[in-house]
Amino acid sequence: MTAATHVPAVGAWARTRQRFFRHSPADGERVVLRHSRIYILPSRRGWAMIGTLAIMLLTSLNYALSLGFAVTFLLTGLVAAALLHAFRNLAGIEIRPLAASETFAGGRIAFTLSVSGGERTREGIEIRAAGAEPVAADIPGGTPVILKVERPAPRRGRLALGRVTLSSTQPLGLWHAWSYVHFPLSGAVYPEPEPGAPPLPRGAHGQDMTAPGQGEESEFAGLREYHPGDSPARVAWKAVARGAGWYTKEFDGAGGGGPLTLEWTALAATLDVETRLSRLTAWVLAAERAARPFALRIPGGMLPVANDRNHRRAALTMLAMFPAELRA
Amino acid sequence: MTPSARRSGRRVRLASPTLTATQIRWLGAMLVAVQLPQAPHLPLWIAAFGLLLVGLRLALLRRDRLRPDAPSARIPSWTLVIFAVIAALAVRASYGYLLGRDPSVAFLFILVAIKFLETRTVRDGSLLVALASFLLVTPFFRSQSPFAALAVLPALVVLGATLDALARSPAASLARSPAAALRRTARMIVHGIPIALVLFVLFPRIGSPLWGLPAEAGAQSGLGDTMAPGSISELSLSDNVAFRVDFDGAIPPPAQRYWRGPVLSRFDGREWSMLPRPGTGTLTRWGPSGLSYVVTLEPHGKPWLFALDLPASLPRPSGEESGEPADDYAFITRDQQLIARTAVSQVLRYTQRSVLRASYPAFDPDEGRDYLRLPARANPRTLDLGRELRAQHDDDGALVGAALDWFRAAPFVYTLTPPLLDRDPVDAFLFDTRRGFCEHYAGAFAALMRAAGVPARVVTGYQGGEINPRGLYLIVRQSDAHAWTEVLIDGMWRRVDPTATVAPSRIEMGLSRAVADGEPVPLFARLEGGWLKSAQLTLDAMNHAWRRNLVGFNRDRQRDLWRELSIDRYAGWQIAAVAGALGLAWAGILLALTGAARAKREREQALWLEACTRLAHAGLPRLPHEGPIAYAARASRRWPQFAIAFAAIAESYAALRYGPPPARAGEREALVATLARAVDVLPAPARLRSAAA
Repeated sequence: MTAATHVPAVGAWARTRQRFFRHSPADGERVVLRHSRIYILPSRRGWAMIGTLAIMLLTSLNYALSLGFAVTFLLTGLVAAALLHAFRNLAGIEIRPLAASETFAGGRIAFTLSVSGGERTREGIEIRAAGAEPVAADIPGGTPVILKVERPAPRRGRLALGRVTLSSTQPLGLWHAWSYVHFPLSGAVYPEPEPGAPPLPRGAHGQDMTAPGQGEESEFAGLREYHPGDSPARVAWKAVARGAGWYTKEFDGAGGGGPLTLEWTALAATLDVETRLSRLTAWVLAAERAARPFALRIPGGMLPVANDRNHRRAALTMLAMFPAELRA
Repeated sequence: MTPSARRSGRRVRLASPTLTATQIRWLGAMLVAVQLPQAPHLPLWIAAFGLLLVGLRLALLRRDRLRPDAPSARIPSWTLVIFAVIAALAVRASYGYLLGRDPSVAFLFILVAIKFLETRTVRDGSLLVALASFLLVTPFFRSQSPFAALAVLPALVVLGATLDALARSPAASLARSPAAALRRTARMIVHGIPIALVLFVLFPRIGSPLWGLPAEAGAQSGLGDTMAPGSISELSLSDNVAFRVDFDGAIPPPAQRYWRGPVLSRFDGREWSMLPRPGTGTLTRWGPSGLSYVVTLEPHGKPWLFALDLPASLPRPSGEESGEPADDYAFITRDQQLIARTAVSQVLRYTQRSVLRASYPAFDPDEGRDYLRLPARANPRTLDLGRELRAQHDDDGALVGAALDWFRAAPFVYTLTPPLLDRDPVDAFLFDTRRGFCEHYAGAFAALMRAAGVPARVVTGYQGGEINPRGLYLIVRQSDAHAWTEVLIDGMWRRVDPTATVAPSRIEMGLSRAVADGEPVPLFARLEGGWLKSAQLTLDAMNHAWRRNLVGFNRDRQRDLWRELSIDRYAGWQIAAVAGALGLAWAGILLALTGAARAKREREQALWLEACTRLAHAGLPRLPHEGPIAYAARASRRWPQFAIAFAAIAESYAALRYGPPPARAGEREALVATLARAVDVLPAPARLRSAAA
C-alpha cells in the first residue's frame, strides 16, 4: 500500500473520530450545541427504571392486567418524554471560551467559559474537564452564566483546558445527555518559585546595587487605578479599607534600586535546569516586589530591562516555556 | 505526571450523595401516594403499619428540622432486618402462606416503608422509586375498576415529581415549588400519552399466563363444582357482577332466562357434585334459529362458561363473526355444559347462540342409569316417599307432576336463612324444617326423583338478571345464582324448577320479591325504582363500557381492533417498524411544538442576548436580578459615550418583551429594527474594554 492511498483513509478516520469525540481543540469562538453533538444514554437510575418497567410489563402480561399495561405504558411515555426533554435541555446551549488564568506550578488554572441557554432555563448543566472538579449550575434564561473550571497545574509549561464534557441528567435524572466541546484555550504555568531562594544578585553593568528588601523605598509618587495582577504589596490597602476603591501605589524612578540582569549563565553550573528556572522565577518575583527593573537572559531568549506588569508576565512566560529538550 | 495529578485525575467513584430533607419529603409523599390505592385490598393492620412507618420517618424529619442542634434520629440498620422478619412472619400468619401473589404484595407494601426508614442516600431513593413503580401495578390484581385507575394517576404524577426532586442537586439547582414540580411532571406525562397509546394498542398480549397463576385466582366468588345446602344462598348475598350480556335482538323475558352452568350429577347424600371427567358431547342440532348474544364474563377462576338454556353453539371469542367456532376455545360436555379450555382468569367476551327450550334429547338413550344412583343408607324417609310415589304412578310425567303437587301442598317457605341441616339433610328439609333456598329445593327434588326411579340431575347457574336501560344490556349478579333440576323422561331431558313451584315470584321478579321482608337480600337486588337505583344503573352502564373496552382488552380484543384498523395483515416486524416510525414522528412533533413559542421571539431575544454577551465580555455581566433598564443605566455609567445606544437597546427590548401588545401594525417591526440598529452601534467587547481603561 502506498502512502498516497493510506493517508485519506487515516484522514477520514481522524475526521470521524473528531466528529464523534472532539479529540483536537478545533472549536472556535463559540459552539452552539446541536443534535449532531448531543449524545444521550440512560443514566444508572434510567436503567433501573427500564428494568422496573420490564418487570411491570411481565406482571401485566402474566396476570392480563389491562390497567397494569396502561400504567406501565404511561410511565414508559414519561420516560420517553424525559428523553426528549433531556435533549431539549442541552440543544441550543451556546458556549464561549472566555479566559484562562495563570499560575505557578503546583497551583490551579481557572478556565472560564460563558454558557448561555437562550430564553429557556437550562437545568443542572455540569461541566467536566480532565482532572477538574465538575462544576454544575442552572443556567437561567436570558443570562449567560460564567462557569469556572479549575484544573491542577503540576508542571510548568502551557496547560490546555482540553476536551470539556457538558452534561445534564435533567429532567428526572433518567437520561444522561452530554456533548463534547474542545476549545484551544490554555493558560501559562510558571515554574514554581524556589523556596528560600538566595537574594537577588548584585546589579549588572558594574553599578553598585543594594540588596533586595534592604533597599530604602523610593519616593512615593502617587496612586493609579488597580489592575488585576498588580502586586499586593503595592495595593493602597488603606484606601481599600476606607471603601474608596482599589488603587495601586506608584513610586518614583525605577523602583528600589538600579536595574538588574537575571542571567542563566550567572547561576552555579551545578544546578539543574528546573532549579535554575525556579530560582530565576523567585528572583523575578523578588525584583517585582522590590519594584526594581530587571533584564532576563536565558538560552534561547532575552528580555530588555523594564519593570511593568507586562514585563513580569513576559519574563515568567519565557521561563515557563523554556524548551523542554534543554532540560536534561 | 506527578502522583498528585494522577490521584486527582483518577475518576473516583464517590459515595452516593445524601438526600436533602426536601427529597426525603418527596419520597415520603410518593410512598403514601402509591400505598393508598393498595391499602383497601390489604388486611387493615398491614395497611396501617405500612403507612405509619412512612409517617414515622416524616415525623423524625420534622423533629430534626425543629431541633437542628439535637443529633438527628438514626434508625440502626439491624433493627430494620428485625422489622422485616417480623413483618414477614405477620404476613404469613395473616395469609397462611408467604409465597403467593397477595402476601408478596403485602410484604412489599411494608418493605418499602421499612426501607424508607433508613433511606439516606440518593441511590436508596432510586431504589425506592423503582419499588414504588412496581406497586403502581399491584392494586390491579384485586380491582380494575375506574376508581382503582383514578387512584393510581396521582401516584404516577407524584412519582415523576419525586424523580425530578432526586435529580436536582441541592447546591446547583434553582428552587422549585412542589406545585411547579407536579405541573411539570404532569405535562411530561401528557407528552408521553401518544407513546402510551401506541404501546397499549400495539404491544402484543398473550392468551395464557407465562407462569402458573397462584391459588388466588380461584378465590374469586362464583359457582363451584359442588352444591351443598347453603352454598348458593351464601353466593346470593353478593352484589358482585357475574357477567353482562349484550343481546343482538330483544331480551327474553325473565322466566326464560336460565343461564346454564355446572351440571351436578353425583350425589353423596348431602352434596351434589360434577362428574370428575365429563365426556365431550355434541351440540343438539336445532338449525340456524336461536338467539345470539355476547357475554362479558367476569373472571371467576373456573373454566365454566354460561349460556342461556340451551346452548346451540360453541362460544366464539367475540369479534370473530365468521368461520367455524374454534374447538380449542371451549367444548360442550355430554350434559350440555360449556367448559373453556383454561380457567377464566381475565375478563372474557364471547359470542354465544342459544335456543330457548326447556327440554332436549338425551345424548345417549341409555344414559339414564347413571342418573339414578343414590346412597342407600342416607335419607331413608325420602327413599320411602320416592317408592310411594312410584307405586302410585306408572307414568314418569305424572309422577313428576305429583311430586311438584306434593311440594305445593306442603308448607314450604322460600328463605335466604334456612335452619342448619345436620344428618340426612334431604329428609330433614323435606319433612322437618321445610325452609330453604333454591339449592335445597333442587337438591331434594332431584334426590326424590332418583328415589322414585326417574333419572335426574341438578343444574346450577343463574336465573334472571337485570336489564340496564342505559345500555340495553343484562346484568347478572352473583345474587342471581340459582339451581334447578332436569329429569329424563322418554329420552328427553326436561327442566323442572321446584323453586318456581314454591316461590313463583323468584323466577318472575327476582330474589327480593320472593323472600319475605327483612331477609338479608343484597342492596342492589332489593332496590326498586327511585333515583338510587337509577344512579346505580348509570354507574353500571359506565362500568360495563369500561370493562368491555379497557379492562377486557385482551388478546382477542386486540386482534379485533387490529382487524378493524387493518393492522393484522402485517408481520410483527412491520408493526414494530411502524411503531418506531410513530415514535420518531412523535419526537419531531413534540420538539417542534415546544420550540414554536421560542421561534416567535427569537429575533429580539437573540439581539438582547447579543448585547448582554458583549457587555459581559467587556467586563460588565448582567446581574441575575437586573432588568434591562437597570442594566443599561449601569452600563451608561461605565461607558457614558454609549449611553444613547444602551438606552435604545433597553427601552425597545423592554417594550417588545414586557410592554402592551402593539397598537398599530408595524409598530413591533419598528421596535425590532431600533433594537437591531442600537446593537449594531455597540462596539466590540475589546474596544469597550479599552474605552474603559
